Amino acid sequence: MPTNLILVGKSGASAARSSLEMTAQNIANADNQSYVRRTTALAEVVSTGGINLNSSTALGGVRIDRIVRADSHYLQAEVRRTAAALTRSDAEIGGLLAVQDAIEQAGIYPAMARFEASLAQLASDPLSPSLRTAVVEQARTLAQSFGPAVQSMDGTRQYLQTSASERVSTFNNLAGEMARTNLALSRTTTGTTMQAALFDQRDALLSQMSEIAGIVVAHDPLGRATVRIGDSAGPVIVTGRETEPLSMAIAPDGTLSFLVAGGATSIQSGALAGEERALARMVDLRSKLDDAAASLVFVTNDAQANGLTPAGIPGPALFSGTGARDIALALTDGAQLATAPAGSGSNSRSIVNLEALRSALASTTPPGSGPASLMDGLLLDLSSNIAGRTITREALRTLADGAQSALTAQTGVDLDTEAANLVRFEQAFQASGRVIQVAVDIFDTLLEIR
Amino acid sequence: MISTGIGTAAFYTRSLREMTDLRRSTEALQTQLVTGERLARSSDDPVAASRLRTLDRADRLAQIDAANARRASSDLSLAASALQNLADDFTRARELATWAANDPLAPEQREIIGRELLSMVSSMVATANATDSSGNALFGGTATGPAYILDGAGNASYAGTPQNETLALGDGQSVARGITGPQFAEFEHAGVATDIFVHVKILGDALQGGAGGDIARAALAGFDEGMESLTRAQTLTGTRLAWIETVEARQVITSESRASEAAETGGVDPAAAVVRLKALLVVLEASQIGFARVGETSLFNIIR
Repeated sequence: MPTNLILVGKSGASAARSSLEMTAQNIANADNQSYVRRTTALAEVVSTGGINLNSSTALGGVRIDRIVRADSHYLQAEVRRTAAALTRSDAEIGGLLAVQDAIEQAGIYPAMARFEASLAQLASDPLSPSLRTAVVEQARTLAQSFGPAVQSMDGTRQYLQTSASERVSTFNNLAGEMARTNLALSRTTTGTTMQAALFDQRDALLSQMSEIAGIVVAHDPLGRATVRIGDSAGPVIVTGRETEPLSMAIAPDGTLSFLVAGGATSIQSGALAGEERALARMVDLRSKLDDAAASLVFVTNDAQANGLTPAGIPGPALFSGTGARDIALALTDGAQLATAPAGSGSNSRSIVNLEALRSALASTTPPGSGPASLMDGLLLDLSSNIAGRTITREALRTLADGAQSALTAQTGVDLDTEAANLVRFEQAFQASGRVIQVAVDIFDTLLEIR
Repeated sequence: MISTGIGTAAFYTRSLREMTDLRRSTEALQTQLVTGERLARSSDDPVAASRLRTLDRADRLAQIDAANARRASSDLSLAASALQNLADDFTRARELATWAANDPLAPEQREIIGRELLSMVSSMVATANATDSSGNALFGGTATGPAYILDGAGNASYAGTPQNETLALGDGQSVARGITGPQFAEFEHAGVATDIFVHVKILGDALQGGAGGDIARAALAGFDEGMESLTRAQTLTGTRLAWIETVEARQVITSESRASEAAETGGVDPAAAVVRLKALLVVLEASQIGFARVGETSLFNIIR
């Protein structure tokens, strides 16, 4: 009998020590984001059979049954979903902000206002060579201000495309890693430390994948993940040990499209979706910028052709080009500005044609909107887009933070709990030691019988 | 708000995020105070940004409008003083004609008067050819070069255009920058169209050619009619100057209202911003202290 008591005490001390080790492991991983809190589940050991023992009263102590991992599939999915929406919003706003900065910092609108002001000044003395030179120089500044905007936008587009293509290859690497994790999960035993570590790895991979492209995940009884892009009807990216690579195509206008197994796939959330949307928006913005440049070219050249220069001939084109990329100053001399109306003869100080040009430039009513009004419309449109999306992003951030907090509260390590556990398991260990001491005392008592 | 255990990683990330948000708000306010601008980029407030762009453009154009108004005003003042000189000359010519109309006057004296009248024609033409601040004829319409040209015989003829140029003063207002020669010089005398230069020239020629006092008497009525035309032109310039003053006064008012609207739309109210900053700093400090206190309450500090 005392031998049995020693064994029970030993098993208790051993179980308490294992629980202490698990507590230490939890504390060590308290700051590990992908670590999920674990506990040890214990089971009673009952001895069976013995020649002169009644099996129904024989006790064998305790053993470690399995490692329990505090998991929540629902919260994990919620965190993935909200984080994917947030990264989409971040990527889209980032791209649009870069475009807004490109256009605003190029200073096209102020350059237009300065050009118009120089024309107004010319009206006070239409034949003055210095005022004419001022107009030509303001026109040159205006034409040149389109260049930086276009280059900046090209740079942003290039960056978004490169970034998207890198994300696609990262996504495929993660998918490959996910497939290997699935394979390892099918070879591991349930309830082991190894399985818990593989689950951690699986969840970390899934959350990284969902930040790139929104995914839905299904788990089988072994915990292996089947990953689809988009929704539950979307194309399968990972199933078991198999993966299907995601690929990306760039259209001539710079927009992105995604393919899985040869079929076009739309990505609704994640950074890739944000970049795709920002690039699609840029096509429209570029065409509006081109419209503003084309309107400037048309309005000024039209007025030039309708009027007379001081030399008494119709004015040559003020700007050349058809859009924001190629607009340039065509005039070489202020004397080529046609301020006088047709039929007024040479050296006329009439400003009828100049006033016609000024009112055409300042027009705000479509379809004949002047370039200044078009530029203002473009900026208003873009900045309203960004402002609206920024509000959405704040809402998404709150949701994502909330989901993350809920998940961490559920699965993270609470140091207070672990501190209490340390005390508890230490006491359990000491108590088991006491049990062994009692067994020894009993044995000694028996030996001392005379 | 989801409550998290104090000892969890969630507690630290949430506290950090909240404090970062507060710090970002204070930084934004501080930037606003330094720059005096509420909007750093259009997307901060799209509608206000668009309004500010329009106001800025209007302001730039209004500055030119104001300069143009000042210029038109100075040109019209020059025209007014030239007209006054012309009127003085013309009055002097009328005095000479009245003198010549005296019958007792000797023919030689009439001839001298005639010679003086002829020399006055050329000085009047010189006055009528006065130029504005940029060297263009004040009374020549939209043409370049002098308004009146004297031929070899001393006859003055108008070389300008019949229309005058108008100058936009902003907000759809405009003003004719000057008046043309025919507007002040031409009048009808005895049913015949003439002008002040021709009228003086004819009388001068006649007196020099030995005409008697009756010719001079007959010309006197023409001087009155010419004077009337000159006075009309002077009234015209005076009215236009007054109009420009009205426009300038309104320009000042609109520019003030533009400035105040720009300040309201995109400016920062320093008092409100400072109070808000103070409030944010108090909250930030409180949350920092709170975080430090709460973070200390770990069981590990107590278990020995």
